[in-house]
Amino acid sequence: MKLTRRMTLAAFAGMLALGTAAPAYAADLIAIITPSHDNPFFKAEAVGAEAKAKELGYEALVLVHDDDANKQSELIDTAIGRGAKAIILDNAGADATVAAVQKAKDAGVPSFLIDREINATGVAVAQIVSNNYQGAQLGAQEFVKLMGEKGNFVELVGKESDTNAGIRSKGYHDVIDDYPDLKMVAQQSANWSQTEAYSKMESILQANPDIKGVISGNDTMAMGAYAALVAANRKDVIVVGFDGSNDVRDSITAGGIKATVLQPAYAQAQMAVEQANDFIKNKKSPAKEKQLMDCVLVNSENAPKLETFALTN
Amino acid sequence: MLNKPTWSILAVTVGISLTACKILPTQSADGGDAAAFNPDKMVEEIWAAKVVPYLQQKAGPFPEVHALAKTDPAAAGAKYGNPNKQANSPWTFTVRLEGEIVAANTQSRAATVDVDVDGDGKADARVQIGPAMRGTALRDSLDFVQFNDFTNQIDFAQFGKAFNAYAGKTVLSKLPRDALEGRTAKILGAYTLESGQDLPLVTPAEAEIGPKP
Repeated sequence: MKLTRRMTLAAFAGMLALGTAAPAYAADLIAIITPSHDNPFFKAEAVGAEAKAKELGYEALVLVHDDDANKQSELIDTAIGRGAKAIILDNAGADATVAAVQKAKDAGVPSFLIDREINATGVAVAQIVSNNYQGAQLGAQEFVKLMGEKGNFVELVGKESDTNAGIRSKGYHDVIDDYPDLKMVAQQSANWSQTEAYSKMESILQANPDIKGVISGNDTMAMGAYAALVAANRKDVIVVGFDGSNDVRDSITAGGIKATVLQPAYAQAQMAVEQANDFIKNKKSPAKEKQLMDCVLVNSENAPKLETFALTN
Repeated sequence: MLNKPTWSILAVTVGISLTACKILPTQSADGGDAAAFNPDKMVEEIWAAKVVPYLQQKAGPFPEVHALAKTDPAAAGAKYGNPNKQANSPWTFTVRLEGEIVAANTQSRAATVDVDVDGDGKADARVQIGPAMRGTALRDSLDFVQFNDFTNQIDFAQFGKAFNAYAGKTVLSKLPRDALEGRTAKILGAYTLESGQDLPLVTPAEAEIGPKP
């Protein structure tokens, strides 16, 4: 393993010395590493990145780290060992990932981060992240409007270890807290999980039957909460989610969940591959390492245009 | 023999430069002090010195800017927008706007006035007068504010909100709230070009509302 890696590195270095004229040995490979594809959001990232890589003439190595930093580190070793020319990464932890990305950089493999930030700059070539805060503000503004600026509501928060859970919650409150007649009667984490959101919603509803709305940190929890509300014959409760999944799209068009916020997962992954391509072929880094991509509000007006984390025109 | 003084001088020089180096961590510790991040204070410090002068110098008359923005957003952006905006973000334009208030919504905490700029009796722009305000148009109009200069998107967002809060506190809270229709409005501010929006939503940095007609 070690020998192979050494040899690959030597070959890689040799190739760099020869310049771009060298025939593709490992030159064609781009590694795409994301959390588990069980969540359609991460699957959309991987599919988007792979499609763009192939379109640009690369071979794609698609891997999942299951939000395990140790596994991520091993996968980065694999990518280095296989002589990947670039790594597209939706990472497994803002702090834990820094060393892994540094390791790739030291081995001459540039990383292009998507979706989640890391707590360091100058290590990855690019960090293209959804503007979760701006997205949360959009969702909250719609929620405030739907609530008529008053009433009791519940907030379902995502997994605490995920930076984006906190960012979204802050973004929601940034808007909602400007309206003193909106009163949060419960705030609980359902860990991004649909089943957990269902059971949490059931008990919250028992303690607080007088709620008018639920704002959720993501779509899977919104789906769980809405199912619990339907089961309790409380379809009148306003539910707003986040992510822009096809499940929530279908619920919106059927008059269930009222709104969600689309993260451009597919486009983001493709943009990362384009920047990797530019870096590989032209030695050109993007103008800025940290790049924010705006999110888009999805409600009954534009829901029919939503498909696999992208809006069609 | 001759070498000895040279070496000691060298040693002294090295000593000095090492001492000089030691200052650096202290500085970076200062700069990286996340706990001290105070967006409200940052905005207060640059508002009069940098923000308002920038907007005054950059702003175009609203009808001209918006007409160009609708036909050629890139051209409007080059002239009135922030050239350092995020690649996939819409343009944010700096505008001067003057006209008659034809409608007002002061029921909402996100209060607005609709202003007729061209005198046809119809609203051309919606101006936020707070206390609750949407978006980050003021922050996003400034070419000297960069996301890369912030630790993360939370800090960046709170910095954006601080602009709205400062404008709200120092400018908008002093505006009249009753019988606004028919009065004149004079605004210096910014708006972000968004699709599916009925009227451009302008966030003011300076605002005057005239007396009752």
